[in-house]
Amino acid sequence: MNNNGTTFLKMNNVNVFYDSIQALKNISLEVAKSEFVVLIGANGAGKSTLLKSILNIQAPKGSIKFKGKELTKLHTDKIVANGISIIPEGHLIFNSMSVLENLQLGTYHGKKKEQSIENIFGYFPILRERKEQTAGTLSGGEQQMLSIGRGLLSDPELILVDEPSLGLAPKIVNDIFDILVKLNNVGYTILLSEQNAKKSLEIADRAYVLETGNIVMEGQADDLLNDEEIKDAYLGGSI
Amino acid sequence: MHILEEAFRARGKLMEFFIAQVLNGLSLGSIYVLLVTGFNLMLLVAKIIQFAYPQFVVISMYATWAVLRATNNVILAILVTIVVSIFLNLLSEPIFRRITSIKGTDINATFVASIGLSMVLVEIMSHSLNQGFPISFSDNWVGGSVFRYGIINISRSSIFAWVGGIIVVVAFFYLLYRTMVGRLFRAIAENRHVAKLFGIPIFKTSMMSYLIAGLLGGFIALLLSMLIGTASPWLGESVALKVLAVSIVAGLGNLKGGLFVGLALGVVESVAIGYVAGSWSNVIAFVIMLIVILAKPKGLFGAAVE
Amino acid sequence: MYFLGFSMTYILMAWSIYLPYRVKHLHFLAVATMAVTSYMGGILSVNFGWSFLPTLLLSIVIGALISYLISHTIGNAPTFTVVIVGITFVFIIKTAIENTDYLGGTIGLFGIPVLDHPLIILFAFLLVIGYFLYRIDHSRIGRAASVIFTDENLAKSMGIKPKQIGMLFQTISGGIAGSAGVFYAFFVGSLFPDFFTFHLIGTLMTILFIGGYTTMWGVIPAALILRGVPMILPSSIASWRLLIYGVLLVAIIATKPKGLITKKMLWELLKKRSGS
Repeated sequence: MNNNGTTFLKMNNVNVFYDSIQALKNISLEVAKSEFVVLIGANGAGKSTLLKSILNIQAPKGSIKFKGKELTKLHTDKIVANGISIIPEGHLIFNSMSVLENLQLGTYHGKKKEQSIENIFGYFPILRERKEQTAGTLSGGEQQMLSIGRGLLSDPELILVDEPSLGLAPKIVNDIFDILVKLNNVGYTILLSEQNAKKSLEIADRAYVLETGNIVMEGQADDLLNDEEIKDAYLGGSI
Repeated sequence: MHILEEAFRARGKLMEFFIAQVLNGLSLGSIYVLLVTGFNLMLLVAKIIQFAYPQFVVISMYATWAVLRATNNVILAILVTIVVSIFLNLLSEPIFRRITSIKGTDINATFVASIGLSMVLVEIMSHSLNQGFPISFSDNWVGGSVFRYGIINISRSSIFAWVGGIIVVVAFFYLLYRTMVGRLFRAIAENRHVAKLFGIPIFKTSMMSYLIAGLLGGFIALLLSMLIGTASPWLGESVALKVLAVSIVAGLGNLKGGLFVGLALGVVESVAIGYVAGSWSNVIAFVIMLIVILAKPKGLFGAAVE
Repeated sequence: MYFLGFSMTYILMAWSIYLPYRVKHLHFLAVATMAVTSYMGGILSVNFGWSFLPTLLLSIVIGALISYLISHTIGNAPTFTVVIVGITFVFIIKTAIENTDYLGGTIGLFGIPVLDHPLIILFAFLLVIGYFLYRIDHSRIGRAASVIFTDENLAKSMGIKPKQIGMLFQTISGGIAGSAGVFYAFFVGSLFPDFFTFHLIGTLMTILFIGGYTTMWGVIPAALILRGVPMILPSSIASWRLLIYGVLLVAIIATKPKGLITKKMLWELLKKRSGS
């Protein structure tokens, strides 16, 4: 657990509306540098919306600060340029473009070019094999790796990962989670949203529980793993 | 034998005539291809139906004419034409951006707005520019014949149209498939939301597409002015319709389909002009496109956009 | 009085464009139809001595028939396809008229007998059509059309058949346009082929979109103001009217895309009146 106490990401009283429906209600949370924080909650709890609000999508009201900068005043592309990447749910990539082209798009905001595409191929050799292949023809797991690789190329410090296990076979899910742990160990700060509570609590440092737009619980991941209520609600039927 | 010889010669002349028309058609088709490409660029990246795009081209032709009349300086005319075209396209960007950002509008709204824009431009041209009279370009500009064989007459402007068309199309596809800008375009064209999540600057890239459309438009204006030698307020209208029709016949947003249908239209129109009297030739081209659209309302090659 | 008659003719024309747009079809075929029936009316009255009423009835039938036949293919086509089909026909009809001396060619067709009491007849007819449109708008069909406009797939999943409604609306539009053509011919007395072209299309679009395309009432004040007012202005300003239309069209789309008079607005007005 790497927690040196600086508030890296701080959300304060964030509210998000879809027309008249309130998706997020007074969300306040914090993520410290190099932490691995997970958001758990049922489908529709607002996890995806929360992650996207950090990128200023859907006009969040309230304050979202990243390294002191107010994100609600910046355009999404500036936010990405400032060091936040999202790995969207559904392993979204550009289906009509090749693996290589998808990665090249990722380098648009790459500053130091430390993480060059070669490095990514090092992390994910299968992508090197398939680099000219149309991304739409990759398997789900491969697309997810591509999405992560692409997300790393903008030199992020904070990586938002949205439901990476959705639609993927358990073995692949394990692989992906291993990758996330490795990334965290190397120094990336990770904010993960997941329906698969058990697995994510096992690898995270801290967790927040989201229910219909509200944060109902927070704490160390280990504590929540052993908490009775959480066990009933989220850990009973999970894998 | 005498009759056979004559028949053969007559058939040869017919063949010549037909070939002449087809060659003319290819240069006209070249222009249509370029116009459709610019139109599709706006459709795919800026997500607008820019019915007034050909009007921008025609106004740029007026600019060419004005500069040539005033200074006779070819380089200046070329530069001014391109600048005017880029300027007009960039100027339209905030209007379309505003429209697409309002709730309750879809791409149809941009279409209607562009019709309004077109109306404004046509009225300006028919009221104030050259007192509403058609303009014509000097013979120097249009250029003469470069190659003659019987009836077949290849003019310098035709060659410019072909060569220019090919170069631009190749350059455009190079841009699209081998450069970062092209990747950004294709990304936004495929899925604007995902592009945003990836940190792709939507506004900047959209602006870039207007810029390129403007650059292309200026180039088209130059080629067109050389090819047909005149322009009028109503040129834009009929061309705009044809470009929209070509785009629909090919399949909205289908770049490669547009290449084929654009050329085909040019040839069909030219052949029609050669064999049919007066304004009916225009109608024939439309009728053929109409039949195709009625048979396949979603386009020959499939639409790339809803 | 010319003002009123002219404006009322435009209300009729605008209504023919309004109805198909309820399902997102810009049915410019209506303009081509107007050209056909107005010239037909002209020929029938000038050369064959037909009187107004039979001419009117015949043109409604022919107008509806033309649209009905074409609607078999474009009844559920995307907006732009309907647009292209319509404009192509406008082009074809215009060229045909221009090249036909019997119809007066580019010079025009003159001498159509003007009606004795045009305003009363027009007004009565408008009431009839207006009532008809009102009943359609407030029927199951009208509500189905609104669903199609919002989301065609949703409509289909509700059992609505977009092609049927599209065809119906286009056919009715053709009938209305047919009548408008005849009214125009008998009101103005002379016809020119370049009237039924993009100028008219642009004017009607401006009227529809400024007035508001979500209800049938919007075109009434829009036609009166947009078409009527230029008639009383000096011609130096009036000749710029298409430019003003264009500017207004862009402006309304960029500010109030549903038009000035919307369903919502009328609803609220009605609620206030009944004091809820």
